[in-house]
Amino acid sequence: MFHQCLVSQTRVFPLTRPTPLFSFLVSAVSINKPFICFLFSSTPKSFFSSTPKSLMSERRSINDVLMASARAAADRKKVRSPLPKKPKTLDDKDTTTLSENSKQEVEEPSSKKAKVTVEDPSLTFEDRIAQLKKKALDFKPKSAAFWKDGEPVPFLFLARAFDLIGQEKGRIVITEILCNVFRTVMATTPGDLIAVIYLSANKVAPSHEGVELGLGDSALNKVLAEAYGRSEAQIKKQTEELGDLGLVAKASRSSQSLMFKPKPLTVARVFDSFRIIAKESGKDSQDKKRRHIRDLLIAATDCEPQYLIRLLQSKLRIGLAEQTLLVALGHAAVYSEQQSKPPSQIQSCLEEAAKIVKHVYSVVPIYDKIISVLLSDGVWKLSDTCCFTLGVPVGPMLAKPTKGVSEILDKFQGIEFTCEYKYDGERAQIHYMEDGSVEIYSRNAERNTGKFPDVLLALTRVKKSSVKSFVLDCEVVAYDREKQKIQPFQILSTRARKGVALSDIKVDVCIFAFDLLYINGRPLLQEQLNVRRQHLYDSFEIEPGVFEFAKAITSDDLEVIQKFLEDAVESSSEGLIVKTLTKDATYEPSKRSLNWLKLKKDYMDSIGDSLDLVPIAAFHGRGKRAGVYGAFLLACYDDKNEEFQSICKIGTGFSEAVLEQCSNSLRTKVIPKPKPYYRCGDTIDPDVWFEPSEVWEVKAADLTISPVHCAGIGVVDPNKGISLRFPRLIRLRKDKIPEQATSSDQVADMYRAQKHNVPSFTNSVGEQRTSVPPELRRDSYRRACYSTSE
Amino acid sequence: MLELRLVQGSLFKKVMEAIKDLVTDANFDCSATGFSLQAMDSSHVALVALLLRSEGFDHYRCDRNLSMGMNLGNMSKMLKCAGADDIITLKADDGSDTVTFMFESPNQDKIADFEMKLMDIDSEHLGIPEAEYQAIVRMPSNEFSRICKDLSSIGDTVVISVTKEGVKFSTRGDIGTANIVCRQNMSVDKPDEAVIIEMQEPVTLTFALRYMNSFTKASPLSNTVTISLSSDLPVVVEYKIAEMGYIRYYLAPKIEDEDEEPKPGVKNERD
Repeated sequence: MFHQCLVSQTRVFPLTRPTPLFSFLVSAVSINKPFICFLFSSTPKSFFSSTPKSLMSERRSINDVLMASARAAADRKKVRSPLPKKPKTLDDKDTTTLSENSKQEVEEPSSKKAKVTVEDPSLTFEDRIAQLKKKALDFKPKSAAFWKDGEPVPFLFLARAFDLIGQEKGRIVITEILCNVFRTVMATTPGDLIAVIYLSANKVAPSHEGVELGLGDSALNKVLAEAYGRSEAQIKKQTEELGDLGLVAKASRSSQSLMFKPKPLTVARVFDSFRIIAKESGKDSQDKKRRHIRDLLIAATDCEPQYLIRLLQSKLRIGLAEQTLLVALGHAAVYSEQQSKPPSQIQSCLEEAAKIVKHVYSVVPIYDKIISVLLSDGVWKLSDTCCFTLGVPVGPMLAKPTKGVSEILDKFQGIEFTCEYKYDGERAQIHYMEDGSVEIYSRNAERNTGKFPDVLLALTRVKKSSVKSFVLDCEVVAYDREKQKIQPFQILSTRARKGVALSDIKVDVCIFAFDLLYINGRPLLQEQLNVRRQHLYDSFEIEPGVFEFAKAITSDDLEVIQKFLEDAVESSSEGLIVKTLTKDATYEPSKRSLNWLKLKKDYMDSIGDSLDLVPIAAFHGRGKRAGVYGAFLLACYDDKNEEFQSICKIGTGFSEAVLEQCSNSLRTKVIPKPKPYYRCGDTIDPDVWFEPSEVWEVKAADLTISPVHCAGIGVVDPNKGISLRFPRLIRLRKDKIPEQATSSDQVADMYRAQKHNVPSFTNSVGEQRTSVPPELRRDSYRRACYSTSE
Repeated sequence: MLELRLVQGSLFKKVMEAIKDLVTDANFDCSATGFSLQAMDSSHVALVALLLRSEGFDHYRCDRNLSMGMNLGNMSKMLKCAGADDIITLKADDGSDTVTFMFESPNQDKIADFEMKLMDIDSEHLGIPEAEYQAIVRMPSNEFSRICKDLSSIGDTVVISVTKEGVKFSTRGDIGTANIVCRQNMSVDKPDEAVIIEMQEPVTLTFALRYMNSFTKASPLSNTVTISLSSDLPVVVEYKIAEMGYIRYYLAPKIEDEDEEPKPGVKNERD
């Protein structure tokens, strides 16, 4: 049997296959204009449909099609607004709502026009979105929904909510909006809550599964060009102007009309596509990814493209922290459960619920699990069902920075505390399962097992036979077994990231264990540190250079601690971690707790003389920094070769005013090509180059050998230069000319002055480092990013 | 059972060249009346409609209506294997998931069979009503092709405006601007070179040149092209295929944005 479809007056088009793509019924079927309906076939995957349909109603003419977007928007307003399911809830609200929203409409011209088509007592689309800004107590969960109960949540709803959140600065307001979003979804289509949460958190899967989006700009440029019929050059240019690819997407969408409008995006479809995109790998995966993105972009309207792109970049940037999301989720759960409670009681419930959700998430960072329990059993039973499980990494406990030993003594007055070396390696959380399998998770809960086969082997050796399962918190550090010396982090980062074979290992590591979270089926998170530590000491044997306990002392003598700190720095550690032992000393997953303090040499004022450097190039700013430069490339001056050698990129230490000033003054110095006497790595590729004109005073935490930067190249390492870690601007030096900048010899001297560098880099390690594949170098860069945020 | 035979096989090749830039996969629909295709480009901005009437074929047999999903790139690869003068026959059995292209050399001494897998393609048929257009321009197809090519070296959109003076194609880019005006010109001796403008009222519309350039790939099919414009409709660019049918391209106009960020949803409110 064939579907037949009249196309023009004389011709008949056969259609043998039903179109499952359109089998989703959208509610918006023809209210006033029967010919604008979307096309649906109710028959799912069967090859030959046995349900003849009224074909005339399926027909869409090209006239409608061209204006589809405008009409669909108008339609949406008409269709979505009437027929409230419970007129009661809307009636009493209405008058207040309209007056409240009138303020907002001044900013939103489109909503004014929308109003014309609205009949009382229904709400327009804009009004409904504006409902989200109401105080949580006054908010009726269904008043913001413009879809029917049980229907998939439109992505537009979420995108608009993101828009609202992006305009707000206050955490409380953001929490409230998000809470209202969650309540709306819970009240209408709870099945979509997981997708909504993941999208709001800008994730596609729990971190430890290692599934990430984070598409590069060049790939997205390409898709945007393809989807919206523009050239990549155009898009690049507009990105410079607007500073955000998301805004470019939004602008591109609105300048080209469509032949016909695809069915609206739903939250579920966007999330599913994201998962597919994130998991796509292998041959043609880039093409496949692009195709999925393109399909999403084409169907996107209004502000949807903007947020689609930002989500794909993994840069949502609406000021929505994950902690806020968890609080909002807790609140939403309370509101949707206990409508009847008086406000006074609700307040305490809210706080309690937020705490529970935060805690549960830190222990079981899997939204799927949390949400399904939350929806079925409610928030109060969450902790019972979702608790620490072997094999699921918890967020590592973090430490707050301090400036000096005296500060620590102030903070921990009268409390017993201990000091441990802060080793410069990779944080690792090792899960040892009862069946003998082991997983190693990084600081960000990424699975790292493949990187450390030697660690796996060592663990089976050093654990005592009574130990059947455990979760160990430790630092994995590069270690020279011959010299029995700890090596800097940069050496460790030369290891391959995946699939390391035991025989290929060139960089040996030592495990420095400092905490035990789980032993033989018993979680220890709630135990005090001294108890946990005792378990740790009891469960493992030390094997020097392979498995050691973090060096620790317990003292409250300033002198002793100072000496201990100096020893730590001497033996190539970053500094100390100071922890309370018996009081408030439970393990708080992913919390930057005051009970753990870190004392790093970087923070101490004695280290790091400032350098005077010359900006020679810059990168365009994005987001907040649109219109000015976002980062600059700095160089030192090599007076022997008379050239400027790049030393670091800098983006911190600028106030808005200073950044603006720097950008403006340098903008007049732009040159089309780098000067022949500029020397920098090919991979840096800045957006603009400058005439050498200014000198900036910069402070940095550390100097390292760099495969990219060229300062002092040939002095310390034959092929590599030196670069600065965590540079920050101190001030502009108007009294110096570029040629008076810090010389590369001075840089090399400063590098050599850093004690722990001298022996390791010049000898055997130097050869190892030259063979580092480029993708590994990124690793150290990534780490730099994390560390700056600390 | 389906059998279409075209002695002038190069026509198939030309048709394929005219479509494959715009559409990657499409359903070809065969019925008693003819062989047709309707497909939207991936960004839903342009639509191509092709009709080859059954009378135009040297042999046409179509027992049941049939819709065949094909990848145009692959189809083009197969058709490239046919010689310029070859007779092309297209064959498909009912219920089969393949289609066969048969190429016969003019003197029948070489016969080649190419079988291609079909694919499942979801597509929606849109009704295309006959409409009154505010302006209809007929001009030589190579002239139009030339204009589009020239303009696209300067800008990426073309503004087409039809006035009493004639039809003006203009663009603007980083390096400058370009305006090309074609006046009405009905030379009797060379009807193919005439520029004929039928105008009810003046129209001005903006389009992405990218699509226009893909449309002009159909120029080998016809000496003339007809461009129909109305301010609230997609433009229609039609190439007639002699004695067979036509290939028509529909293109949604660009929305001219005066302010930097036009509010979505407000755009076509004049409708």
